[in-house]
Amino acid sequence: MHLHYTPEQSAFRAEVRAWMEMHVPAEPLITLECREGYDQHVEWERTLAAGNWGMVTWPEEFGGRGLDLIQWLIFEEEYFRAGAPNRANQNGIFLLGPTIMEFGTEEQKQRFLTPMAKGEVVWAQAWSEPGAGSDMAAISSKAVRDGNQYVINGQKTWSSRAAFADWGFGIFRTDPDSKRHKGLTFILFDLNTPGITRRPIRQLHGETGFAELFFDDVRVPVENCLAGEGEGWNVAMATAGFERGLMLRSPGRFQATARRLIELYRRHQAEAAPSAREAVSQAWMAAQAYAYNTYSVAAKIIAGGKIGAEASLNKIFWSELDRSMHRTAMQLLGACAELKTFDDGSVNQWLEGYIFSLSGPIYAGSNEVQRNITAERLLGLPRVGAG
Amino acid sequence: MDFRFSEDQLALAESVREFLADTHGPQVLRHLDKDGPRDPNIWQGLVDMGLTGLMVPEEFGGLGLGLAEAALIAAECGRACLAEPLVDTAFVAVPWLLAKGETGQLAAILAGVCRIPLPHAINPWVADGDGAHLKSVDPLRILTKGTGGDDPHLLDLAALMSAAQLVGLADAMLAQAIEYAKIRTQFGQPIGAFQGLKHQLASCAVAIEFAKPVVWRAAQALQDEVPTRSIHVSHAKVAATDAATLTAETAIQVHGAMGYTYEVDLHFWMKRTWALSGAWGSRAFHLNRIDNAVLGDMLELGPQATFA
Repeated sequence: MHLHYTPEQSAFRAEVRAWMEMHVPAEPLITLECREGYDQHVEWERTLAAGNWGMVTWPEEFGGRGLDLIQWLIFEEEYFRAGAPNRANQNGIFLLGPTIMEFGTEEQKQRFLTPMAKGEVVWAQAWSEPGAGSDMAAISSKAVRDGNQYVINGQKTWSSRAAFADWGFGIFRTDPDSKRHKGLTFILFDLNTPGITRRPIRQLHGETGFAELFFDDVRVPVENCLAGEGEGWNVAMATAGFERGLMLRSPGRFQATARRLIELYRRHQAEAAPSAREAVSQAWMAAQAYAYNTYSVAAKIIAGGKIGAEASLNKIFWSELDRSMHRTAMQLLGACAELKTFDDGSVNQWLEGYIFSLSGPIYAGSNEVQRNITAERLLGLPRVGAG
Repeated sequence: MDFRFSEDQLALAESVREFLADTHGPQVLRHLDKDGPRDPNIWQGLVDMGLTGLMVPEEFGGLGLGLAEAALIAAECGRACLAEPLVDTAFVAVPWLLAKGETGQLAAILAGVCRIPLPHAINPWVADGDGAHLKSVDPLRILTKGTGGDDPHLLDLAALMSAAQLVGLADAMLAQAIEYAKIRTQFGQPIGAFQGLKHQLASCAVAIEFAKPVVWRAAQALQDEVPTRSIHVSHAKVAATDAATLTAETAIQVHGAMGYTYEVDLHFWMKRTWALSGAWGSRAFHLNRIDNAVLGDMLELGPQATFA
């Protein structure tokens, strides 16, 4: 155990910090859940790419810097410290990218990874269906093989970024006689393919970030299938592992929120309840704990290990921490909490953040499902209804 | 930056875990409860394992290991609900004496013929001391009246090792609850198949998973003498106390009425949890240290300071 940054790691931090201070927009961007805000965020992806910061862990040939996970954590810490915008392409770089890296052919890597890192192609995910939410194996959208194409029919929903994104990925039933986890295939598709209809869904905050996708005889070339027909469930589980585990929500994000919460507490200290004092300290502690845990997971992966069902523990922890930090902030703000814009004209980001934090325990597999996975796969308890 | 125990460190902890599982199971706890809480044979076994010399420098015949290894082994002592005062003497007194440059008692500690009670102003008792006994809820603890000075390093060392034992206790209580949930059947299925239980046990697993690295980080901070070490110790004590308290309450709930009996083993671990939660600084004491540092602007915040 060695808990000190090397001089190279500290120098890298300084480099990231200097670049972020130069380039992060002074004013927060408009939410990326609307057209104008989305375009601003895509512009920011291109700025990042121009600085070669698209996805620092990827090999240089795919638009990365070939850095290790510790450097990635440092990058993320500085990214959130600088208050940089949310990543429009998080579904691509954090979820699909690592999946292609693991399961993709050389041709697929060449074709998809570099435009992803450069922010040229923004990805939406298409897992859920109206009848397949927590129970993802109930997927019924079909992809029927016809020569060298799949013909897709069906419906996807809660598709993050799909209102505006360029490409999507999801799993579809390629074996019509199959049930549950079998007979599913992971397919990548251009969202502008004829036959795809997007219906944006207005979210809690009033904006339209996710969408429903309707597939009506959509023809997709078979080379857009990842890791072979029928392998969809395994590939999707790997993607979900990246989502719940290390990649999607790095500790720098929550540590930055905890620091902003501490500053908010200091401004409202006089009227704050004693319980708020404890809640703010707890926020700092939990964000630190999340960082330590992530550094230990990163060290394991660097040494050749893998994350399995432990990713579920992670997802439960960060999503509930995020909600609790924002709830505390709303309590500290008191009567100002409901204001969308404060007196000084600044946006009430705690309110936006609180609303967003309520989705954390739902997306990426609801926390109830994560607790089932934890109980059954980590603790060895019998499956529901096992008898 | 490498937040991992080495293969050697993990192998050492594993060997202690196996040794204690073989020699210090629930039947031993019952024997101690009935016949008196200390047993020279158990102590001699720990001495023969080399554990009293774990932190004694090699020049004095010990293993010369540090606080990270000691914390790992202290967690194993918690897991086994070890009653002998190994942690106090070998993992708290030894590094405390070394920090003061006092080496006179090391050979005797190593040989197992000297145990060091640790009086401190933070506690209204002394564990394993001489004199009139106080009665602890934990039948295997020996407490005597007394108090001592307020040496801050002693407090940090002992609070850290309490936290380490608490995560081990939490692990053990979770394992006991899981085993019971697998074998007890109601409504025609193991009770562990009910989500109502699964979700509670999963929440314990989350709390333990995120308390452990805080304890290891505090151990390394004390070992490296980083200036913020006391804050990290307090963080470890609060996180470990909360994880163990949650797990204790969940474990008794999972055991149902059986959990409320003296026959089920769980109570030994639960009572040790209650004892160590308040020992060496209550939750309020440690939370207050964190509040003052974090909210009072006495601690550098920011990503560069995560490991400072």
